[in-house]
Parts: sequence; structure tokens; C-alpha cells
Amino acid sequence: MDTVDASAHYSQSVDEKPSLLVLILDTNPYAWSTLSATLPLERALASILIFLNVHMAFSHANRVAVIASHTRSARFLYPTTTSTTTAAGGSGGSEDPFRDANKYRQFRLIEDQVQASFAELMRQTTASELVDAKETMMAGALGLALGYVNRLVRVDDSGGVVGGKDGAVGEVTSMNARILVVSVSGDLAEQYVPVMNSIFAAQRKKIPIDICKVAGETVFLQQASDTTRGIYMQLEHPESLLQYLMMCFIPDTATRRHLVPPTQVNVDFRAACFCHKNVVDIGFVCSICLSIFCTPPEGAICTTCNTKLDISALGNFGGKPAVVLTKKKKTKKLKQSKATSFSNEASATSTPGTPAS
Amino acid sequence: MADSDEDYIATDDEEIGAHNISKSGRHRGAGGAAATGGSGARSKNGSKPGGGAQKRERWEDIKRSWDNVVEGEDGSLSSTVAGLLEAGKRKRLLKDTTPLQRGIIRHLILILDLSSAMMEKDFRPTRYLLSLRYACDFVREYFEQNPISQLGVLGMRDGLAVRISDLSGNPVDHIEAIGKLRLDEGKGAPSLQNALEMSRAALFHAPSHGTREVVIVFGALLSSDPGDIHQTISHLVEDKIRVSVVGLSAQVAVCRELCKRTNAGDEGVYGVALDDKHFRELLLDTTIPPVTRSAKMSASSLLMMGFPSRMVEKTASLCACHSTLTKGGYLCSRCSTKVCALPMECPACGLTLILSTHLARSYHHLFPLKNWVEVPWKAASKSTHCYACQIPFPHPPAKPEELSAPAKTATGTSVSSRYACTICHNHFCIDCDVFCHETLYNCPACQSSVPKGRISNGARGRSDPMEVG
Repeated sequence: MDTVDASAHYSQSVDEKPSLLVLILDTNPYAWSTLSATLPLERALASILIFLNVHMAFSHANRVAVIASHTRSARFLYPTTTSTTTAAGGSGGSEDPFRDANKYRQFRLIEDQVQASFAELMRQTTASELVDAKETMMAGALGLALGYVNRLVRVDDSGGVVGGKDGAVGEVTSMNARILVVSVSGDLAEQYVPVMNSIFAAQRKKIPIDICKVAGETVFLQQASDTTRGIYMQLEHPESLLQYLMMCFIPDTATRRHLVPPTQVNVDFRAACFCHKNVVDIGFVCSICLSIFCTPPEGAICTTCNTKLDISALGNFGGKPAVVLTKKKKTKKLKQSKATSFSNEASATSTPGTPAS
Repeated sequence: MADSDEDYIATDDEEIGAHNISKSGRHRGAGGAAATGGSGARSKNGSKPGGGAQKRERWEDIKRSWDNVVEGEDGSLSSTVAGLLEAGKRKRLLKDTTPLQRGIIRHLILILDLSSAMMEKDFRPTRYLLSLRYACDFVREYFEQNPISQLGVLGMRDGLAVRISDLSGNPVDHIEAIGKLRLDEGKGAPSLQNALEMSRAALFHAPSHGTREVVIVFGALLSSDPGDIHQTISHLVEDKIRVSVVGLSAQVAVCRELCKRTNAGDEGVYGVALDDKHFRELLLDTTIPPVTRSAKMSASSLLMMGFPSRMVEKTASLCACHSTLTKGGYLCSRCSTKVCALPMECPACGLTLILSTHLARSYHHLFPLKNWVEVPWKAASKSTHCYACQIPFPHPPAKPEELSAPAKTATGTSVSSRYACTICHNHFCIDCDVFCHETLYNCPACQSSVPKGRISNGARGRSDPMEVG
């Protein structure tokens, strides 16, 4: 079907696989309300629906999925399970959505379902639960997205990929998948480990995670796009969301090889210590549980796993410099001060691997 | 037919070779080596020494794959085949998920057999080429799972231990070095003792907070050693080096003892590959960080590490690690030396430089995801679709007697094709079960809802009706 226009003659069809787009929409009402002057959520949703239609228009085999990352839950907006589909049909009103002659059926289907389940989601959100709900379930949304991608992308439904599981050389997939996150709120510290696990899973499956950052600041998502080689875009003018989506996020993974996609140059990889949440350049890491500390913990006992740690290998870092006492008593004062300054220097340059003598 | 003839001759040659060695007396401990080779050959012939007489050996039970397949009600095999596949996936999945202290910072030597025994073709194309390919996979997987660990590769050929790549943390170096071996072929007899002594020397400087491990891919049934290998094993035990072996032909007594003694009596780390898939599984299983058995095995210590930020330059400059021109890289947090890739030890001041993501990569070993449980039909009606991938589940059967069937079928799969997370009680399909436990290490449902204590009435919407009891 796709090669019907004979373009296959000159464009070597290297990668004619259909593509799957999983869009994660951060629907935190707080964050969107701060944006209401420039980009209300309804307008953003309308832009996103157009964007999804464009994606679908590229090839009849393209697929989309939309996941809402809400304040206290993450769930599919499209495709939804049967119960919500019937609800969508009901809310669609008098006309049968499948028989509208003026619209491509796929477009119609997606639009109706997304809007219906979105309305349902908003209806279930009561003011009382929004109290103090600054978070968004990004880790869960990423998990759902990856699970969905994992099913759709697999070559063989019987699961028998010859040559073993992931990481095998020349693993073929039936679709190119990518995840696009439209994010408006900030990071959640307690989601660090699950978000990181999702990022590594995406990296192993070679699924790029694109970030469309409408507002807020998040280090996790920056790392996500950097690790998975996705696009990172911080919107300067949120009101023109559609244009950003169309210009930056529409090319699929096969096309991107020929383009220079926008990425984040400076990604913050520094770690925050577990003890004071300080951002550190040089930290101390427990060899058992990999907790990060800004200074050696008190009594050399790891606060996370309660292990007695051996700090002798640190080469007396931060401690008093060792003073070499000289034997000659006459010139003691002078020599001592010299020795002090010398050993100070030595301990500063000593490496963690070699114990300073 | 020609192939099998050739194979037979090859094994014959090997045995003759082993005897020759013992006769010639070139090596002092050759008698012991020949004995080990002999024991392997003996068990291959089926005449066992007294101890194993009661127990039937694996090869005596003939397994016919077509016995497992039963025709379904509709006369086709598809349902049975699907069930078998599911059982296979489930079997692979069920592991012990108790959080254990593991040696996250590892120092491992991979020893490849490059002897003439590897030229056999029982693994396609040859044992030699297949083991090289899997060794590359191993290196990749090892650094995925253990980003702050070190790896070195050795080879055994012509009775010598050959250094293939030094202990380092860069997967590219190892893969390149292993790739170069492709042009070569297996030669001579392997020497376990030489290889073990060399790896002992290589691991001598490994710091006490890390693990010291050796993984051997062993294709031959003999080891031609210059001395007493049992002494070497004792030295390994003293040095707290653990050895695991993946055998390719048959079990060899000395390997068994080697594994047993260096792993505190645990023989589970010695496996003999049945086919290429099993070989890969056995080898890649060793990429999971080992459990710390006693406090003596590894000392805990506090490590100083640098977390550099990436910088981008207008003009290219030389990096300190490879002396190549690069635009951008990382500056050592202590001495501002430029390195081009992480993790790395700063070439100037020796500080370990890593990204916070490298540490995060190891967290899933420390907080494993619990196994999910099978769902009986009674509880199955609560879900119609897999929570993560939205695949529809089969409907509960109409007959009441089927409804009361136990949750776990004879093959270990769930009777309702549903698997439930024990914490959030949501249902998943087998594929998502495998994916979540082997790749994602999260439960998507637990992550997409707020823990119960914080929920006000009905806040979870759709996930509510899925809760069990």
C-alpha cells in the first residue's frame, strides 16, 4: 500500500516499518492551571489530537497510544478497554462515529476515545484529592507505555525470538516505537528509582523517549531523553505547542538519522547526596548499597544499610593531616610545620585506591 | 553422517592426547589432568563410579519433545504449543526475589577455552565461534548490569594462558579484542591451572570492597597442567575468588570441585550446556551480581567518587584517556582532566568518575521486583484486559467445576492466563510479567497509583474494581 506511488524506485526502502507513537500527557491540573493564560489544557489537547492525526496520516499501519499521567493515577486514554469504549460511543451522541463521511475513520476513532476518556478522568478528579497533589505518576505512565510498546513491537507473537532475548545482535522488530512525553510538572524525588528503571528498559529496547517540556524543570526527563537518544525540547512559547510538535516531534526514528534533531546539550548528571540532598561533585559512595554521601557519615556507618564502612581507603580525607615527628629536638618547631604542610598536600592528592602512608 | 564420524574421531584424538601427556611426563601434574579427562570420558560412556549408580543420569532418560504435545479439542496443536511457550517463559521467570546483599562492584575475569576441543561442531557453526559470539554478548550484558565493575578476558590455548584483554571497565575494548580472535582457531590443550593462576594474579590488586570472580567457558574434557591444580584451588579459596564454569561437553570432576570449593559448597554455578540456547542462558546468568554470603567475602568501604558534568567545547581538544580529539567530554571533578567517556578512573588523579545514572542502574539488583502470582478463575473476573499492554484475557469458563480449578496448572502457568502483583493486585499477561521482571524491574500498576494509605474514596478510578477481595 505504501509503495503504491512508486517512490520505492529511488528511495531505497531501508526502513519501511510502521511506527508506533506512545504519547504520555502529563495532566496535573495544578501545573496546567498556571499555564492557563497561554495554553489551556483544552487547547493543548486539541493540538495533540491534530498531531496524532498527522502521525496516523503518514501510513495506515501507524499506531498511537495515549496515556494520561495524572496526579494519583496513570491510565490509558487510547486504546481503552471495552467498558470505556462503550462509554465513548454513548458520549459521542446521536451520530454513529463510524459512519461520518467527512472524516477519516481512524482520526475520528482516536479523537472520540481520547476526549471521552479524558472527560471521564477529569470527572473522577475531585477537588478534595487535588489538595496538595503536585505530583504526576510519570513512572507508572512510562511503565505502561513500555509494556504496551513491548507487546506491539514484538516480532513473533509466540515470543520465540531466535537467538535469545533482548540485546541479541540483529534483533528485528515489527515496528519502530517511540515515546513522547508532554510534561508540565517537575520531578518527584521518590519516583527516582522507578523512573530510572523505565529509562534503562527503554534504552535496552532501543525506544527513544522524546520530551516536550511545556513548563517546569525536570532532571529525570532530561536524562531520559539523553540516555535513550530522544529529542528534548523546552518550549519558549507554549502557546504554539502544535508548531513545536509538528516541527520537532513528527519524524520517526528512521527519519531522524537524516536530520539534526534538537537535543539538550547540558544535562545535569550530578548526584544529590542522600544525607543533605546537596548536589555534589565529589561524593562518597557506600560499596554495599550505593548510597551517596557528601561527607563520610558519622561513625562510618552507612545511614541506609547500617553497614560499618571501612574508611581507611579514603586516605584520611577530611581528617587531620598526619604529622611526622622528627627526632631532632632542637629544630622541632620549624620541621614540624614543614612536615605538616607537606603531608597536607600529600593527603589532598592521594587517590582513594591507594592508602596514604 | 560424515559430520558425526568426524566428531567421533575428534574426541578419540583428545583422549589419546591426554594419555600422551601423562606418558611423556612433560608436566608434573599430568597424571591428575589425565585423570580428570578420563573421568569425563568415563561418565560419557555410562559406566559410573559407585556413588552415582542408583541415580539415573540425565542422558539415560530419553525425552521426546513430541510426547509433550497433545492434540487440543479442536484437533489443532496451537493451544498446546501456546501453553508450552507460556510455561517456558514462566519457568525462566520464577527466581528467588528476596532482597539480598550483592557484590555490586565486581572484578571478573572471563576465561575462554581456545583449545582444539573448541573446533567441534556440536554447537553451530563451531563451539569456538559460538562461544566468541556469546562472549561479546556477555561483555555487553555484564556492563549493562554492572556499570561500575571491571572485566578482563583470558584464553586457554596450547597449554598456556593467553591474555586477551586487561582488566578494565570499557566494554568496547573487550569486544574488539574478542572479535580479533575470530580469525584464529582453537589449538592445543587447555590448561585450567595456568589460566586460574593468571587470573589470580590479575585480580590480586582488586580492592577488598569489590568481588573477585572468574567465569570459565570450558569445552575440553581435560586440563593439561604444569603443577597440582588442587593447590591452585586452595590458593583461590584463600584469595576469595569465586569461580563459575560453563561446560560445553560433559561434566568434568575437577571443574565441579573447583566450583564447589570456591563457592562455599555451592555447585549451582557449574553448568553444562545442553544446547546453544542453554549455553547462552548459563553464561548470561553470571552477569547478575553474586550474593554476598558472609561478611568475610567482601569488606564494605566508603568510596570516593566524582560526578562530573558534561561540557561542550567550540573547538576539539585531546582527551586524557585515549589521546583523541573530541569536542566535549567530562572534566574530572578533582583535577579537571578531560575524559571522553564514563565510567572511568581519572588518568591523572585516579578518582573514579561516574554518572549518577550508573549507580541507578544497579539499584534493581538491590530492590528486586517480587514474583507475581497465578490467578484462579474465581478472582479472574475482576479484569478483562492486561493492565499494561491492554491485551484481552480469556473469559472465565461457564462450568462451575472449572471455576474451582487451582490457580497453578501442572506446567506452572496460571489457569486464567492472568498474573497478579501481590502488592497492588492488578492483573497482567505473561508477556508483561516477563518484561516487567526482566527488563523494567517495576510494577507499572504499583507505580501508577498512590499507595493505599493515602487514597481517599475512589481516587483510583478504574483500578478499583480490579482489586482482589
